[in-house]
Amino acid sequence: MFHIDTMEGHQRMSTQDLLLKIEEAVTGGETDFEITGSGQHDIGGPLWHPEGKTLHFHVTNPGQRVGSMCLDNTEIVVDGPAPADVGWLNAGGKITVRGDAGDTAGHCSSGGKIYIGGRAGARTGSLMKHDPLYEEPEMWILKNVGSFSFEFMGGGRVVVCGWDSSQFASVLGERACVGMVGGLIYVRGEVPALPDDILCLDLEDEDRAFLAGGMGDFLDSVGKPELAAELSDWSEWKKLRPLTFAEKKPQPQPNLADFRMTGWVRGGIFSDVAMDDFAVVPTVNKGLYRLRVPSWDNGKYASPCEFNCPSGIPTQRRFDLLREGKEEEALQLVLQYTPFPGSVCGTLCPNPCMEGCTRGSIDEAIQIGALGAKSAQTKVEPPKEHTDKSIGIIGGGVAGLSAAWQLALRGHSVTVYDEGEKIGGKIEQVIPRSRIPHELLEKELQRIQDMGVKFVTGCHVDHEKFEKLRSAHNALIVATGGTKSRFFPWEGLENLTMGLDFLKKVNAGEHPKVGRHVVVIGAGNSGMDVASDAYEMGAEKVTLVDVQRPAAFQKEIHRILDLGGSIVWPFVTSKITPEGIYAKDGRFIEADQVIVSIGEAPETQKFLPDDPKIKRFREDWLVPSEEKMIMPGVFAAGDVVKPGRLTDAIGDGLRTAHCVDRFVRGEAITPVVEKKVIPMERLSRAYFEKCHHCDLPENPEEDHNRCVSCGTCRDCRMCLNSCPEKAITRNALPDGTWEYVSDPDKCIGCGICAGVCPCGIWGLVDNPEPIPMYRTYGREEMRKCRAQ
Amino acid sequence: METIKVQDVAVNDLPWRIEYHAERCTRCGSCVASCSFNAIEVVVQRQSMTVSEQNQPSPVRRQLALAIIKQKKDLAYMCRGCGMCERVCPNNAIRPVRNPDDRKALLSRDNGPIKRGGRTNLNAQRTLDSIIVGRISQMTDPALDSVRHTFDIRAPFGRVLSPRELPLTVSGDKLEMAHRTPPVRWIYPLIFSDMSIGALSTRAWEAVALATAYLNEKCNLPVRMSSGEGGMPVKLLESEYLKYFIIQIASGHFGWNRIIKAMPHMVTDPGGILIKIGQGAKPGDGGLLPEAKVAEHVQAIRGVPKATLSSPPNHQGLYSIEESVQKMHLSLNAAFGFRVPVAVKCAASATSVAVYHNLLRDPYKICGGFFIDGIQGGTGAAAEVSLDHTGHPVVSKIRDCYLSAVRQGLQGQIPLYGGGGIGLTGNAAADAFKMICLGANGVFCGKVLIQLLGCIGNEKGRCNACNTGKCPTGICTQDPRLVKRLDVDRGAQKIVDYVLAFDKELRKLMAPIGNSSLPVGRSDALVSTDKAVADKLGIQYVC
Repeated sequence: MFHIDTMEGHQRMSTQDLLLKIEEAVTGGETDFEITGSGQHDIGGPLWHPEGKTLHFHVTNPGQRVGSMCLDNTEIVVDGPAPADVGWLNAGGKITVRGDAGDTAGHCSSGGKIYIGGRAGARTGSLMKHDPLYEEPEMWILKNVGSFSFEFMGGGRVVVCGWDSSQFASVLGERACVGMVGGLIYVRGEVPALPDDILCLDLEDEDRAFLAGGMGDFLDSVGKPELAAELSDWSEWKKLRPLTFAEKKPQPQPNLADFRMTGWVRGGIFSDVAMDDFAVVPTVNKGLYRLRVPSWDNGKYASPCEFNCPSGIPTQRRFDLLREGKEEEALQLVLQYTPFPGSVCGTLCPNPCMEGCTRGSIDEAIQIGALGAKSAQTKVEPPKEHTDKSIGIIGGGVAGLSAAWQLALRGHSVTVYDEGEKIGGKIEQVIPRSRIPHELLEKELQRIQDMGVKFVTGCHVDHEKFEKLRSAHNALIVATGGTKSRFFPWEGLENLTMGLDFLKKVNAGEHPKVGRHVVVIGAGNSGMDVASDAYEMGAEKVTLVDVQRPAAFQKEIHRILDLGGSIVWPFVTSKITPEGIYAKDGRFIEADQVIVSIGEAPETQKFLPDDPKIKRFREDWLVPSEEKMIMPGVFAAGDVVKPGRLTDAIGDGLRTAHCVDRFVRGEAITPVVEKKVIPMERLSRAYFEKCHHCDLPENPEEDHNRCVSCGTCRDCRMCLNSCPEKAITRNALPDGTWEYVSDPDKCIGCGICAGVCPCGIWGLVDNPEPIPMYRTYGREEMRKCRAQ
Repeated sequence: METIKVQDVAVNDLPWRIEYHAERCTRCGSCVASCSFNAIEVVVQRQSMTVSEQNQPSPVRRQLALAIIKQKKDLAYMCRGCGMCERVCPNNAIRPVRNPDDRKALLSRDNGPIKRGGRTNLNAQRTLDSIIVGRISQMTDPALDSVRHTFDIRAPFGRVLSPRELPLTVSGDKLEMAHRTPPVRWIYPLIFSDMSIGALSTRAWEAVALATAYLNEKCNLPVRMSSGEGGMPVKLLESEYLKYFIIQIASGHFGWNRIIKAMPHMVTDPGGILIKIGQGAKPGDGGLLPEAKVAEHVQAIRGVPKATLSSPPNHQGLYSIEESVQKMHLSLNAAFGFRVPVAVKCAASATSVAVYHNLLRDPYKICGGFFIDGIQGGTGAAAEVSLDHTGHPVVSKIRDCYLSAVRQGLQGQIPLYGGGGIGLTGNAAADAFKMICLGANGVFCGKVLIQLLGCIGNEKGRCNACNTGKCPTGICTQDPRLVKRLDVDRGAQKIVDYVLAFDKELRKLMAPIGNSSLPVGRSDALVSTDKAVADKLGIQYVC
């Protein structure tokens, strides 16, 4: 027996001195210790006898951690209470505390036995473990434990007997077993609320056997054998164990969908103003929920050639027909728009259609003028049905003849009255024969007559005649054009020759005399015509002067330059003398003849009534209404309204004819609807490779390969074959045409059809179909809702 | 030959460029079909070349025309970088890439000032990220366990009286109240803030509301949601959930007709009233709801025709702070029988402390909270010049207000709530914790909520198209085709999950500093790696 009293008078032995003495004694073979402590820590471990004998400690008044890190073969009995951490990290010792234990008794112990003969403090048994290589640790407590006990416990068995604890709401304090993952706790008495993952179970046989097997030794050790019977009513006991990892169910996750359906305001808080089924649509959709939809816009837009042609000739349709092999139809189509495809389109027209041609932005414009010439000989069947309406047209120039042609095509009786000996206006009377073969003009005039149009030539219309014509016809068109040369009040006007008279005389075969040196005032197209005729009539040198850059077509200018002519500009005429012409800046050009050709003005006062209701511009030109009318039943077209090119006159004749047709039929007159030109970005020019000039086809009809067919479907099937959803079908229509249709139930609105369409037929527009989702909510509905 | 002129808008002028790989593309069209901004289109591209494959020059011409996806060179249809194309593309063939050479800001003022949504893109620097919770309880005092300890995470909403002012009388051996005290609700220190019906789609607004109710009913977190200035759904007003909602009144007073009409049918009081004076994203500017978003239900709730709705920059008829307190606070207190706390929200400003002083001095003790909204707050629509160049950071402002109250011994009497950029870098809990340590009682956040719903916008110029009505995620639009893209349940779930994690993370920060209740004003817990920030806020500088 090794006895140590740690107090000598008032001198207390330090923990360090005590533990070194004990260790020295154990090394020396001592096995029995009687220690009168005074708060020294860590008494009892870790110690081992050199021969493996059991070490016995009998301790009073220990400090913290009595029996800490205790090994097997160590037995400690504390007479009375012990402070915190009894058996901390106990690895095998048997530690008995006959009184109460402080906090964290058995903390982290993983072997041996700990007997507490009273209460144990907070966090008792926390982090106890069981190393499977050794016996599992046990801790027996006679009374109760403090709060937070058995936190993070991982193994071992704890017995809380709950004796003398009825004054406590719980024998485990509060918040026991938090984070416990292993081990067992047997408890007798009130159990607190436990975490969700701790089971509180009745005992089974094995449990009862364990308790019965250990109870005697425990009670004997703590000196209470008399309690055996009281504590052995197993029905008062419970067993606590944590769910195993496998048993643990995943935490129930919040389920908002359930909550919305069962707990939330029925139908949703916006159900009064927003009809919503809460269904979620994907990012890419078919049908109603597509953001955008394709739109088949065949013919909605004018091609640039169509748009730039004053008569609106849809040349792309001619080439589409040619591509289909329908040559005759292609050549006839143009005659729906003009009676002069040969004389004007193919010969005299500067072809504004070609200036805007999309193909021109790739290589060269499609040969549209030349294609027009191909229709010069084309026959058109007269209309099968005739109306009883008769229309008189005063003026047999291109405007009047264009109107006459259109009205005849519509089955009306048309008579054209012209003052000249021959019908045809300026083409016949003024434009030099060198610019247009006379036979071509005559053929096209004949075609107009073949259509049923009556020509009355040599017909002078004065006021009286006008009224007669007006009463003889259902409608009249004034298309008398510009009939007098315009000039300014220059000095020496008596020396001036009128261009229009000069040109007329030439074409009439009168061979007017010209000077050797001729100056032409005005370098426009008619000025070039004058110059050309002047050379024809024997002039040696022709000089054209103009106040501005010459307005004539390049072709015409070059024709004159090639003949030896010259152009002087800017030249502001001040005086004309028999010797020549003076500019305001003093320049002088020698000339024995000066011809003015700065345009013509109409002379309608000669036959129209003196009616202030007839609107005019600068006293000469007529200003018709939107319906092309100047007075009831009297319409106007061509240069009598506004000077222009031949093609402008044809277009104006066409539009006037449209109004006249409606008028004589007694229908409301609505002007011809002009299509918008197709936006260039709708076209896919990338399909078309630049063509070398040498590779242009000689026959313009073969240019259908180069024609983009702007705005009109060329039936290439690119859309049909490119659609990723196979939503597009091609429908053949009874009239021989076709349409492509996109099925909304298949289409996702991606716009590939629009993207790949060479002609700009498919567009992609915001889905126009409304989705009825929102509303204001009627009062009645609100009342009903509140009543519910 | 192309004919491009130097002043034409080019793709390289736009803020986002579409990176497209034709060789990976299947031409399925999904990208174009899903792009709500109509920023990409299908075009045909030509590849022409002359090749020679013989041993001597033998030119052969090859031409290939193929459909490709192309970005529109048009400011009206510019790519916003939302990335829907990338999401739907099965082959990773397309995605938006930020263009560092963007000239949009220079080119897009043809129709007046640039308008957009989102929040400041210039002043997104983060004071809170230079602040660390640097004072950890270790050997000096016990830290708490964030999981096992009980925390009291509640903030007052309402006017708190100082103990001296409590109208207590002794009656026998009991204390009794001599008269009623101002209403105070103890709520979760995270308020879902102020996104109006109209700014948000019905679905987005409902998702936030649904999450609010769920957090209260199922998670025991008394989170409050502020309605925003576009009124309240009548069915919500007349439901028992009204108690979780703070009804806002702003200068436009939108939606108040239906709110007042619903009063006789209310089964509970609202959680509070918030008077909006200003907004951090565009201080000095009133609300703005572009015409594209004024759908029929918005017209109905707000009582206006289809038009762009601008709220005045200030409440009509309020010319002084005293008048504001009297008229607005008193009237709104009175509206609900003085049972419901009334708070006020202002944009953070150089003058915030003065305003707070005025409110604190109010003898009627009628202001139940001071909300300060910083420059990093969001908005559905504002002039970009306001978003980027006006405003005031919220962090130092909360600190200034708190400290000035402390100097007067009045701290905590009018609860301080800070917002504007809370959760900007993803962790709202950390932001909230720091704000609270600096003196806030709680925080409010909005943009992080819609980001949880699915908003892909950010302060680096991504999307920011809330004003266009073309929100690709169905959140900031009223177009049914887009609204129906949004899954209410999933969105609400995401918010709930986030707030549950927020709660745990807040504990994770409270535990190491040893606070089991909100550490309001515990600036000793914070340190800063930025000397200037440390000096300004009065916290330790560390490095």
